[in-house]
Amino acid sequence: MEEKPASYERVVYKNTSEYHYMKICLVCENRSKTLSPEQFKQLIISGVKDLYGEVGAAFPFDLLTFDQSALSAILRVYNRGLVKLWSALTLIGEYEDEPCAFRVTQVSPFLLALSGNSRELELY
Amino acid sequence: MSVYMDLNIIAISDKKRLQNIIETAAHLGYSTVAINYVVEPQQKKQQIPKPLSASELCEKLPIVQGKSRPIKVLNRLTVVATEASHFRPSSEYKNFDILAVYPKTEKLFHAACMTYDVDIISIATTEKQPFYCKRSPVNGAIERGVFFEISYTAAIRDSTMKKYTIANAINLVDVCKGKNVILTSGVENPLELRGPYDIANLGLVFGLSEGDAKAAVSTNCRSVILHGETRMTALGIIHMMMKKKKSQPPIEQPEEETPAVKRAKTETL
Repeated sequence: MEEKPASYERVVYKNTSEYHYMKICLVCENRSKTLSPEQFKQLIISGVKDLYGEVGAAFPFDLLTFDQSALSAILRVYNRGLVKLWSALTLIGEYEDEPCAFRVTQVSPFLLALSGNSRELELY
Repeated sequence: MSVYMDLNIIAISDKKRLQNIIETAAHLGYSTVAINYVVEPQQKKQQIPKPLSASELCEKLPIVQGKSRPIKVLNRLTVVATEASHFRPSSEYKNFDILAVYPKTEKLFHAACMTYDVDIISIATTEKQPFYCKRSPVNGAIERGVFFEISYTAAIRDSTMKKYTIANAINLVDVCKGKNVILTSGVENPLELRGPYDIANLGLVFGLSEGDAKAAVSTNCRSVILHGETRMTALGIIHMMMKKKKSQPPIEQPEEETPAVKRAKTETL
């Protein structure tokens, strides 16, 4: 038997992906701040409503994972809601009268891409 | 692709906080920041401040995330002009890399667009723009290579100011059709700073196209800096780089270096 060389498969998406995934992280002035996942999502929803109003905020998004200790999370949102959600996250400036900021670490149409961050690799 | 820049970090007297802001900016991926000194000549006895050099500010400049280079720190002066006499070209302006003007009246806006020797014209973000940006002065400014600045920090601080910022920004983008716009921060607190990609996305909300929004934090800022450099000269600038001579074989050096690394490894074993 002839041994085949290692092959790889190239997957091409003909249509754009339905969702976008965002890896985000909440930074607070008070480092020991803790939030429940519900509070976290409520903070984002109120931010979207602040910026776009009731009608503009009527797009669904999901909180897939939430790490309570690092306050980092992965969000899933439909493509057409991405710009709205992202801009709302950008303009959130305080939580319970305390300054805070959302740091968007990664945005990708593929969930798998969020498993690693090439910017944090240490190259030698 | 050009690197990301943030050309408006308010010069606060608290040096430690300023260092903290610069560090945050480097961490977020900004390769260049400009420390902004604001003068308001209508308040009496306002002196044009002397800019601190980058080495005075931080002993060691932080490394930009994703690059292995330290962040570049520039100086910028913003003149808040309510009367025509407030902006007069003086030698003190020459200490700054970038010169900006924030016109408060329509007449001054027109003058700033058509004649003032500046790099940036700031647009109101904390109040309703008291005049309408007309197309002819804006086109004149675009032709002269002057850029319009929208700063976003006010929008993060307060919901009323958010309204003004967005309204003024959309107005401006409508008139200039997305050309010659830069997006800057204007932060006084490290938590108000946002990453360059966030700001490019925010540009979409202001009505910029995707390409224009990205240019607003990268290539347009570079043009501003180059425009600032030409202001100090008569006509233009040329960048020169030393090229290695061909006659010297450059192979020798790496050959020397490779065994050195190997030797270091065996020594540690």
